[in-house]
Amino acid sequence: MTRSRNFVPMLVVGVVLIALYFPIMLLANYPAAARALQRGAVLECKTALECSFDMRSPIIPAPAQLLIGFSSLYFPPTSETSVPYNAFFTGLETLSGLLLASIVGLGLSVLLVASRAFERALLPWLVASQTVPIIAIAPMLAVLLGQYGVEGWIPKAIIAAYIAFFPIAIGVSKGLRSPDPIQVDLMKTYNAGSLQTFAKLRFPSSIPYLFTAFKVSVTAALIGAIISESATISGAGLGKMLSENSRASDAVGLWLVMIGSAILGILLVSIVGWLERVVTPWQRNH
Amino acid sequence: MTNAISPLVAVNDVSMIYRTRAPNGEALETVALKNANLEINQGEFISLIGPSGCGKTTLLRLLADLIQPTSGSIGIGGKTPQQAREARAYGYVFQAPALFDWRTVMGNVMLPLEIMGYNLADRKARAENMLALVGLEKFSKNFPWQLSGGMQQRVSIARALAFEPQLLFMDEPFGALDEITRENLNLELLRLWRETGKTIIFVTHSIPEAVFLSTRVVVMTPRPGKIEKIVNVDLPHPRDFDTRESPRFFEIATEIRESLRHGHGYEGNE
Repeated sequence: MTRSRNFVPMLVVGVVLIALYFPIMLLANYPAAARALQRGAVLECKTALECSFDMRSPIIPAPAQLLIGFSSLYFPPTSETSVPYNAFFTGLETLSGLLLASIVGLGLSVLLVASRAFERALLPWLVASQTVPIIAIAPMLAVLLGQYGVEGWIPKAIIAAYIAFFPIAIGVSKGLRSPDPIQVDLMKTYNAGSLQTFAKLRFPSSIPYLFTAFKVSVTAALIGAIISESATISGAGLGKMLSENSRASDAVGLWLVMIGSAILGILLVSIVGWLERVVTPWQRNH
Repeated sequence: MTNAISPLVAVNDVSMIYRTRAPNGEALETVALKNANLEINQGEFISLIGPSGCGKTTLLRLLADLIQPTSGSIGIGGKTPQQAREARAYGYVFQAPALFDWRTVMGNVMLPLEIMGYNLADRKARAENMLALVGLEKFSKNFPWQLSGGMQQRVSIARALAFEPQLLFMDEPFGALDEITRENLNLELLRLWRETGKTIIFVTHSIPEAVFLSTRVVVMTPRPGKIEKIVNVDLPHPRDFDTRESPRFFEIATEIRESLRHGHGYEGNE
């Protein structure tokens, strides 16, 4: 029920975006097409308006161009040069990165909550780690790991995890501190040990926070995976496709890869949402 | 030990002073409770009544070892409050139900039993018994948010009773409920007290509630928090809705109201 209720508004937004696409595309392409005509290029089209739909290297591709590109870049999906094939690998890297980030993030959140001194010592470094431009650190990490024979999808998952662990560590440490004081008092009246209080009160309280963090982390991890792929240009992945297409100045290809990564992002966030519904059946607003 | 004679709970000259610092650095002292003396016998139903800041919740938290007194001593069945807490000698019902959202009603009632290491069969049997006692056996699989406030508080009472402590501390458990629900739960609590023979110490700011439930009412007044008077409630048992309309009920309620005024100095500003 909630499914279909969400789906219709989502489609409406999609239709609005497509309707906006035409004028924006014309605004982007018209000046370039007009300049090409002025220079006296030999073109099949006669007017700048006509040419806006038919440029070899458009700034924003026309819908017809996208459709033609779509059939060659998305089919067959099992082809090594297709968007779905590469998106599959990027998705796997992102999810393994998220798994790794959860382990690191949960560990850090426990440390952050365990002592204020630890939090003061650790937190500035965690913040610093996130301000380092990922685009600089990704190729470096890939080379570094490559020296020790770690290649393929693993360095990319590690870079995805590098971006994704931070929201998890911060979100979960807030969750671990979220129990009501009277719930903590209640555990004290049972003479519960700190381990029991953690397992039966603090950890379960933090699970909704964990999923909120996941929703932020998964999109960040996806960007991390794509950037590391485009930096290394090895194996498979959407990032690798982006790099190759931009070298070949294939604007239509770039746009189709971007659309592919947007779809992958929506898919990954809905996987997290589904997992949340399964793991936390007690939450009323599912 | 001569348990038959010595009181179950003995409060000897207990004071509680909170020391804080004002924004200008000046040391502040708040006397939450001053030289309290109280003895409670096995099987009694004692209400602590008074306005905000009279130290009634402080006294209950001291008995439960959730805080420690600045001076004086407390004995619970011959033990210190800490020893009593470690021996799981009491159940505590808080102002809010404090149920765990992620546990079903059944799971919430089983929580203390899990912590205390009861086996699964025992946990289930006890939790089912307690839910039946508070009339919620049909809701065992529901999550807390699916229950009304009154039902949630009944779950928290079942949870406090699950490991069958002989002593029950209740801190304004019905304070957030509407009058009609509150009166029904009062009746239910009295039945429960008579059936189980427990000793109950009950914090409230409602005079009718205190008179209706208690064997004795401890009247407390603020600034500093102290025990003003202890009023004996000699209304016969079993009590029901008619009890609230008997002349003796009003006499006792009036006596409590007057001693609350006396300690508070209300005459001037009313």
